[in-house]
Amino acid sequence: MRPAVRVIVATLLLTTLAGLCVHYGATYDEHWPHPTGDQLQDDPGQFTDQQVLLFGEVQTAAEDTIAIHVHDDAGDIAAELEVTNVDKSVEPGGMVQVYGVLDSDQTMTAEKTVVVNRSDGASTYKYVVSLAGALLAIGYFCKHWQPLPQKLGFEPRTGRTERDTAGPNDG
Amino acid sequence: MADLLTHVLAAYTLFTVASWRFEWFTKRWVAIAMIGALLPDLNRLGLLVIDATLESVLGVPFSLDAMQTIGGVCLLAGVGAVVLTERHRRAFGFLLAGAFSHLVIDGLKAYADGAAGTWLYPITWYRHPTPNLYVSSDPTVLVLTGIIAGSVFLYERYWL
Repeated sequence: MRPAVRVIVATLLLTTLAGLCVHYGATYDEHWPHPTGDQLQDDPGQFTDQQVLLFGEVQTAAEDTIAIHVHDDAGDIAAELEVTNVDKSVEPGGMVQVYGVLDSDQTMTAEKTVVVNRSDGASTYKYVVSLAGALLAIGYFCKHWQPLPQKLGFEPRTGRTERDTAGPNDG
Repeated sequence: MADLLTHVLAAYTLFTVASWRFEWFTKRWVAIAMIGALLPDLNRLGLLVIDATLESVLGVPFSLDAMQTIGGVCLLAGVGAVVLTERHRRAFGFLLAGAFSHLVIDGLKAYADGAAGTWLYPITWYRHPTPNLYVSSDPTVLVLTGIIAGSVFLYERYWL
């Protein structure tokens, strides 16, 4: 495929991807069976006495009770909840999923809790390890493929071996 | 999501073992599959620019999380395939397979309501039951995957 054609195909695919992101963003809330931070902020009473799943950042933790902040899309605090019956160890700065019936006074007795990040340090661990993963994949890729600026793309780093050309040429 | 290193090591393991069966399946295609395993986590661009900022700039709803779905990775794999100068269809297949391994592993993680995320979009919004096997920050997942990937690496290097 000629470079110009590849650029056109990539542009079309990225435009379609942007459209997919718009559609996903526009329809997610109506398909997600639980309140989002934005919905909780707009009308907290709408979800009272309903069984909901919420994601929140732990503010305080004492015995089996935690206080969490649920955030909206902008990262601002949409709701502050007190959750009891939390049988997991978690520290302030950690992230949890809580599932249970939401009471009118912004409290919940959790039926199930999942600790996503036990503390702020767990988030840092995840990002550092993920960065290492990205670097490993990119490094392994660069070991086998090289950029070819004049063709606007990557090609195999070494000449084709007999083993490589054994398959169908689908280029 | 599991951490990205786990996904990359899982893709390395899976596709290295698969490469033992086919002559044409060389290391360069294992490398492409490992890049494919990165694709769903491109939604982490949201750490740099949040959806709300993009929405205010574009004037329409917008969610980068669409990239962590079947539809998103199909399109991203297509873009990745044309970044190569040749063998686009094969590259597309390996990028998609790597991305799919990522989505399947993510489909096993814990949700408090017992159902996985909406990664089957846009085919369906259905959230399948999850076995709640792990949480993303649990180092045990990485250690286990690392041991298996290391064993595959050593087996191939010294015994195969």
